[in-house]
Amino acid sequence: MTQLGVHDATADSGEVEKDILRFLEAQTKRSWDPRVDLFAAGGLSSLFAMQLVVHLEQTHGISIRGADLRLDNFRTVASMVALVYRLRGAAGASGA
Amino acid sequence: MPDGLAAARVLLTDLVGDRAESWDRTGLLPRELLVRLGAAGYLCPQVATAHGGLGWDSAEDGEFTAHVGSLCSSLRSIMTSQGMAAWTIDRLGTEQQRSGLLTRLTGGELAAVAFSEPQAGSDLSAITTRIVRDGDSVVVDGIKTWSTAAAYADIVVVVGILGDGGAGAVVVPTREPGVQVERIADPLGCRAAGHADIRLTRVRLPATSLLGGGGQFLPLLVTTALAYGRMSVAWGCVGILRACLAAAGAHARSREQFGRPLGSHQLVARHLADLLMAEQAATRACEHASRCWDEGSADQVLATVLAKHVSATQAARGSAIAVQVLASAATRDGHMVARAYRDAKCMEIIEGSNEMCQLLLADHVLATK
Repeated sequence: MTQLGVHDATADSGEVEKDILRFLEAQTKRSWDPRVDLFAAGGLSSLFAMQLVVHLEQTHGISIRGADLRLDNFRTVASMVALVYRLRGAAGASGA
Repeated sequence: MPDGLAAARVLLTDLVGDRAESWDRTGLLPRELLVRLGAAGYLCPQVATAHGGLGWDSAEDGEFTAHVGSLCSSLRSIMTSQGMAAWTIDRLGTEQQRSGLLTRLTGGELAAVAFSEPQAGSDLSAITTRIVRDGDSVVVDGIKTWSTAAAYADIVVVVGILGDGGAGAVVVPTREPGVQVERIADPLGCRAAGHADIRLTRVRLPATSLLGGGGQFLPLLVTTALAYGRMSVAWGCVGILRACLAAAGAHARSREQFGRPLGSHQLVARHLADLLMAEQAATRACEHASRCWDEGSADQVLATVLAKHVSATQAARGSAIAVQVLASAATRDGHMVARAYRDAKCMEIIEGSNEMCQLLLADHVLATK
């Protein structure tokens, strides 16, 4: 990957984090730490996990399927950012 | 209305004809009809054309599902199961699994999905069916109950817990050694939908039968799979309401008591207004949810639960009203309105009972409002 590509990716993941935090805040009327476990006791419901899946797909042009529907990918904002970045890379690599 | 949808509706009206009553009374749908509809892609119309499907969107699929639901809820239930199996394979499967399995589901093979167990109904976190990896194989053990369409199915998508953590959905051919499918006798409603219990005893399958390699988050897996089923049930209930509305309207116009048509008696007229309101409320809730699906909006998740709950409760209420309007004319087994009454009640239980839907909706309020 070129230097420019790395730079773009970093700026980009900042945007993804901001988007997810915005979505969480808008949906739950509270602010979230990017590293907090969203689904721990007192956290979000399984229905909300599904809303996150659809939101990430719609907003970031990715498709979250198969083995990626693991809890670890949605546990924190940081893990969702990593997921979006990885799937975008995969889509780019396959020419999608 | 798109041409394909209009033609499909005419074909189904023709194929069902006046046979829904005898299907209900015998508890059996003709297998050749199901295979024919499956091979034409009509049992899971949202599957992409690349996989042999019709590539319909949720709104088209919904209108078609409502039409089939207005004719025969047992047949509509078969569509719900096949569509839910296809949706689960589409979301959970690898590209290779998708292209292989979806082509079979649009090629005449019949499918069901198995979630419920004797001790895991509304509480699916209590599922005990085990899927254990063993080299190139997986071994499945468990008991599933009330799996709709399983009595007809060639393959069943079985949801279980993986031996090494997380959940999984495994595609089980019903002809495999160790698979016993036992039809449930005389269900209250959707009597010909082929509800069955499934006993899985050391069923050994290729590891490629496990969708997406397994390890998914159980609540997410279940919510994903149920989402299609909820939309399908919701639209099916719209169909039940449309059929009831037509039957009640016709009866209230033609039947006379006290020297004038039933509809001119105010207490009966009110029933007709209530029935229209039920049909319209359910239709609007379903249209909204389908629009959310087709736009890829995150609102689809809540809208789906809402549509399912609104439609099922309105169908149960509306069909009871229709029985009241038709009175003795509808109080015999097999009559369209009697079927609607029994079928609609079951829709308040399946794919998330009224109470589970209410809890999900209330959770949403508590978390977001």
